[in-house]
Amino acid sequence: MKNHGIFENLKSFVPTVKPSSLFGWSVLWALVLLPALVWAQDAATQAMSVEYRDIPGLGSRNVVWVVAQQHLLLAGFVLGVPIFAWVCEIVGWKTKEARYDKLAKEFTKLLTSAYATTALFGGILLFLLIGLYPKLMAYLSDIFFPSFIVYCLLFLLETATLYLYWYGWDAMQGNRKAFHLFLGFLLNVFALGIMVVPNAWATFQASPVVVAEGTAIDRAWAATWNPTWWPVNIHRLIANVVLGGFICGAYAGIRYLLAASQEEREHYDWMGYVGNFIGVFGMLPLPFAGYWLMREIYQYNQQMGITLMGGFLAWLFILQAMLIGVLFLGANYYFWMGITYRIPGSERSYRRPILAMLVVLMVCLGVWMTPHSLVASLEEARKMGGTHHPLLGVFGVMSAKMTVSNLMILVTFMSFIMYWRAGKQETAGWAKIAKSVMGALLVIAGIAVIVLGVWGYFVPAIIRINYFSVAQVLIVLFIMLTFTPLTAILMKSAKTTTEMVWGQMPIRAGYALVSNAVMVILLMSLMGYARSSSRVHWHIYGVMRDTSDYAYSPALGYAAAFMSLNTFVFCLLVAFIFWVATMGDKGKKTPDQKEPEPAKIPAGVTPAMAGGSPREKA
Amino acid sequence: MKGPLAKTAILLVGMYVFLKFILPLFTAPLPASLIFLYLALTFASAMIFYTMSGGSLDEFMGPVGRFLTGSGQAGIAGTARILVFVLFPLLVGWQTYTRLAPSDLPPAENRTIHPAPPGEFVGLANPYPRTPENIMMGKGLYAAFCSPCHGANFDGKGPAAVGFNPPPANFSDPGTIAQLQESYLFWRIKKGGVGLPVEAMPWKSAMPRWEVELPDEWIWKIIMGEYDGAGQSPRTWEEEE
Amino acid sequence: MSEVALLQLIGLTVVGLGICILLFIKAKFLRVVGFVVIVLGTFTLIALGVPQMASLPPAIETFDIAEVKTPDDLAAIGQKIFFSKGQCALCHSIGPSESARCPDLKGIGAKLAPEFIYESLTDPQAYIYLDFRHEGLPKEYPARMPYIHKNPIALSQQEIYSVISFLQKMSGEPISVKVEDVMNIGKESEVEVASLTVNGAP
Repeated sequence: MKNHGIFENLKSFVPTVKPSSLFGWSVLWALVLLPALVWAQDAATQAMSVEYRDIPGLGSRNVVWVVAQQHLLLAGFVLGVPIFAWVCEIVGWKTKEARYDKLAKEFTKLLTSAYATTALFGGILLFLLIGLYPKLMAYLSDIFFPSFIVYCLLFLLETATLYLYWYGWDAMQGNRKAFHLFLGFLLNVFALGIMVVPNAWATFQASPVVVAEGTAIDRAWAATWNPTWWPVNIHRLIANVVLGGFICGAYAGIRYLLAASQEEREHYDWMGYVGNFIGVFGMLPLPFAGYWLMREIYQYNQQMGITLMGGFLAWLFILQAMLIGVLFLGANYYFWMGITYRIPGSERSYRRPILAMLVVLMVCLGVWMTPHSLVASLEEARKMGGTHHPLLGVFGVMSAKMTVSNLMILVTFMSFIMYWRAGKQETAGWAKIAKSVMGALLVIAGIAVIVLGVWGYFVPAIIRINYFSVAQVLIVLFIMLTFTPLTAILMKSAKTTTEMVWGQMPIRAGYALVSNAVMVILLMSLMGYARSSSRVHWHIYGVMRDTSDYAYSPALGYAAAFMSLNTFVFCLLVAFIFWVATMGDKGKKTPDQKEPEPAKIPAGVTPAMAGGSPREKA
Repeated sequence: MKGPLAKTAILLVGMYVFLKFILPLFTAPLPASLIFLYLALTFASAMIFYTMSGGSLDEFMGPVGRFLTGSGQAGIAGTARILVFVLFPLLVGWQTYTRLAPSDLPPAENRTIHPAPPGEFVGLANPYPRTPENIMMGKGLYAAFCSPCHGANFDGKGPAAVGFNPPPANFSDPGTIAQLQESYLFWRIKKGGVGLPVEAMPWKSAMPRWEVELPDEWIWKIIMGEYDGAGQSPRTWEEEE
Repeated sequence: MSEVALLQLIGLTVVGLGICILLFIKAKFLRVVGFVVIVLGTFTLIALGVPQMASLPPAIETFDIAEVKTPDDLAAIGQKIFFSKGQCALCHSIGPSESARCPDLKGIGAKLAPEFIYESLTDPQAYIYLDFRHEGLPKEYPARMPYIHKNPIALSQQEIYSVISFLQKMSGEPISVKVEDVMNIGKESEVEVASLTVNGAP
């Protein structure tokens, strides 16, 4: 039956007709049903009526899985790095610190080769999809054809802008720097477009809307505005910043481990610090975007929501909690090591607050990782009266998870502020009041989050979702948005009591940075699997069923093996790109030219980001 | 015994004793998987804290290194070292044996309690208004058909409940029907245990397939009576006025 | 060997390889690779340690409309069409919903006659108030409702009537669509329902 009919609904007519007349029927129906497709008359040929092809041995889905994941991770990298580079360039321009500009340029250099690799994987993916899933691709092209064109145009613009941005870097210093920054802005706008357009295709598969009759553009437009489109866009945009930041951190970590001279060590220590900083900065609002997305999915279709949160994917979220936990711990660990190693003599005074934060983080992680339905043997389950523990079962529900994730964000933000202020003494007269107000606010915010979380058990779900969870998020956001500028003002007039020493971090710090990057990539792979398998046996949820042999969703262990493989391959690809891009650097340095002079920072300029600079002299 | 290593050991043992022996005095005992998780988190905290600076790292890892290399270990310490080296592989062997040995216990189970309902049940709403008469009728039907297992007090403690493992759902628990929409209950009552998807282990539910005995109207009214009697309200997307 | 055991073996081998690299190899970059390999292998082993559960697709069930005997049977078919092939639930809800973009259909079967619902489904533009809020001649509001009997949804007449009987049932009304009438419309098609969970394990 597989070879007859391009659409699901066609199939319903097949069983009633005799095989001999099938040929005629499919021609007739194809003509009646698909007037929009110009090549419909070819549907009669055998090739056109193939619904699926397979790659024997490997399995078509596995191949598409790996290629699509590589394409997506590379795309995330290619879109994240320009944001990262552009922010660094602005910081360098504003503060006149040349090393930020240098850092931005170093990363933009990667873009040209990374960009080509991404496009290469995109091309492979496209060919594979056309070959392996013709039925689905025909349906999607029928709906989205106008946006294919837009996508191609955006690609042309992005490529042109990227070349101008990179090759014009040195030419556009000084007066023309503003124009160069504008180019960077354009680059990011086009990059955003390149992400947003295909997101519509993917989100349409998960949350389709009825596409009524109309012009091709009308239909594409209607399908593009599906309920999960913008939540996914925002979530991916933030996640790309995180990916860019942590990959920068990992690169710096590896270079730090490999560094031969003290000069290099200082530079890469600082770079790792900046990467970790941007990664953490992006990571803090990311759970909120994820929560919004989840909520939209739940609203769009309760079935899909339950499949994700309570159904067969529920264990995936325990794994996610573990990975996020390791990521949060890794980021904090790096901050804390930064305090003890970069600020000599600070270990004693920071021991207690670090211990307190660690305990809070771990308790939160413990709550987050406690599953709703516990794994228990028959004997244990009998003692508990089911797989829900009477006491710890309360940790399993959403209210508890929301509360602890908010607390973890608060703690991470605190350790970020603490690192920022380490080794400095505020001189402003109002510093004391400001500090006590901030401390009080922080305590109140923490208590408020917990109170709302506990209260959430006693109100209807809708009240909790609409008001309590939103209030928790707003409280944490409020803290972040008020504390950051306040601390920045305080630090402006602060005097440094202890110099930051760069290049002293232990080897562990380098590995911590690598581990953070691996966690982010694994998380992206894991949640990509969640997004994809929440559609269960549908290509397009509720509209086009997957009738191939791969309609089942694999178990978590099998999926995790693929995620690990994908992460490993991606890490190797990125390492290769970095290696290729930096190969030229070594050749350029002639003995009398050596390392470029470290940039001099004008007196009175405060370091752009927390932690100061390697050569900061008060 | 001082130093970070000893502290970590004491912390772990204390944690284990608390989770395994003290906590069960107040509530049901924890499953081994959860105890393992909490101990792993405790150990990770200790590792993170003591590797934060060079000094504490040496204090933490130093004894381990000395123990492994055997430098300066004589007398009781030396004997202990040899004892550990002999016993540790035996411990691993014993662990492996117990994991692989055939046992009459069923494997640890992981049943999805609230699986996703089939598409055609997701968007239904109760067609009958919440009038006192309808609720009354629902409670009457509940008393006749449901209370033998789910209990006259909606607490899952009906006279027949003791015969079932897992026990019948307790509707007064805020973790059950209060988390679900009415359409979800409609599906579960109508299709019963056999209608569950595989991840919810249909063979582990004794819920009858009520569609063969009750008309839809009765089921909707039973749902109304259930929520009212258990003092819960269904999950909705609309706010209660 | 089961798939899980095989994957566990691979995971353990990979972790072991990573540990060997960290123990015996001095080259920094390779050591980082070893570290990454250990992290990834451990993750896979943990994921293999949690209970494994694949989600199998429900069987595709076809059934013959000729077997319909009572109005309730018709409504049961209508229910499946409403939530799958008919794509009604992509916009409409039964009962209030934040995500519904189109009118709530709760109680619609009690409010409207079956003929009117049939007309709304097959000629959405037929009975819509005109828009006078501008100068000149009144305009028709464009109906966002697709023609249900045409492409891409293309429900048959019988299918549309079964959906109507489902809507009547969901309004707590007796179903006024007559089974015989629906049977007489034509005997050409079988209804295939895409999303149907079979009882028990698939």
